[in-house]
Amino acid sequence: MVKYVIVTLFFLIFGNFSNYILAQEKYERESRLKQKYVPSNALNFIDSLSLKNKVKWYLEEGFESKSIEAKFKRNGEKHSIEFDIHGIIQDVEIEMKWNDLYMPFKNLIIKQLKEDCIKHKIVKTQIQYTGNQTALLLKLLSDVSVKDLTVKYEIILKCHCDKNTQLFEYLFNDNGQLIMATPIIFKPSNHLEY
Amino acid sequence: MSINKFHLVLFIVFSQFSNNISAQSSYLFGLLPSINVNYKLENDWSLNTKLESRHLLRSGEFNGIIERKYNYILTDLSMIAAKKVGLNSRVASGYLIRFEEEKLFHRFIQQYTVLQRLTNLRLAHRLSTDQTFSPMEKPEFRLRYRIASEVALDGQSVDPREFYFKFNNEYLNSWQDYGYDLEIRLVPLLGYNLKSTNKIEMGLDYRVNSFLNNNTRHSFWVNLNWFIEL
Repeated sequence: MVKYVIVTLFFLIFGNFSNYILAQEKYERESRLKQKYVPSNALNFIDSLSLKNKVKWYLEEGFESKSIEAKFKRNGEKHSIEFDIHGIIQDVEIEMKWNDLYMPFKNLIIKQLKEDCIKHKIVKTQIQYTGNQTALLLKLLSDVSVKDLTVKYEIILKCHCDKNTQLFEYLFNDNGQLIMATPIIFKPSNHLEY
Repeated sequence: MSINKFHLVLFIVFSQFSNNISAQSSYLFGLLPSINVNYKLENDWSLNTKLESRHLLRSGEFNGIIERKYNYILTDLSMIAAKKVGLNSRVASGYLIRFEEEKLFHRFIQQYTVLQRLTNLRLAHRLSTDQTFSPMEKPEFRLRYRIASEVALDGQSVDPREFYFKFNNEYLNSWQDYGYDLEIRLVPLLGYNLKSTNKIEMGLDYRVNSFLNNNTRHSFWVNLNWFIEL
């Protein structure tokens, strides 16, 4: 009897959900990319940095966009450089320590976070540079202040507000003004918990 | 504990198991399919329902008699209510009913899980207790710890239409009728993420118990799991 119940249930559930499985959902995919498929412009840019550490390449695909990302460590800091599919550089992100941010700027961010959260905890801090290829290369090679670069700060933080705690990505400009705050949605983990 | 020490402990434990295999020890081999449906509710609550059945295909003793005969063993149906209590943690409590040879077993479950998100993998720690009651047997009380890891086989995280590797390792302490037993489970699985709300996994669920009283029993269950998130 139990066997028949299981078989019937299986077909009922599979019948109902197979359409959803085959239907489309919000399509975002990140996969490893072999170096031979990386556009030469992107490869040349990375080569010009004369890196000692290995570079990992990723392809990020959405419904409307595709991009290529190079990830590597340099001087102990995690770097992520995004290119479009033709190898034209889009931005550079470098992970940094929260404590390395200069004080008046940090206070502006803290003021904003205190307005939004009852309690908060900084998880990750990244500095983001956008601009033309020459300016970005100069910034990466010399680490001096370069004109023609837009600087933004990306802060990942735990924010406890009202009744729940959520992870957020905050984006600030270099004047400490908030550009955007986006909640980070986690992937389901029931297959790890049950 | 350093990685070398950990490997040494693993080596000793498995040498012990392999000695037991050559001595008097029995084994079971079969199938363990399951369907797991998770419903998201409001205010960080969720409801998890699992249907799992056990089918024996072969049993016997190592270097001894082997019986090759299909036997349906049991079916478990569970319902667990869970509440997110932190960014990465959840408490849960529920009930499981077991149908086994016209007998019914009632199990009450309490668990606490913490999820760690690392750059290339996710780790879930689960600490749980359960109490099983049936008219035929003395009550059984268990204290369990499980660590489950998930590694994407392409990229840094598991995206739709991607394969992943999952590995579960669980330690189950059991007390029944003044007796104590420890069961260890090792479960390597290959998973496929059809979409973020649908996953299928296949692998081998290896369980070893009764080795503390030199009557080691090994179980090998081919797992076929289907996880649905609603």
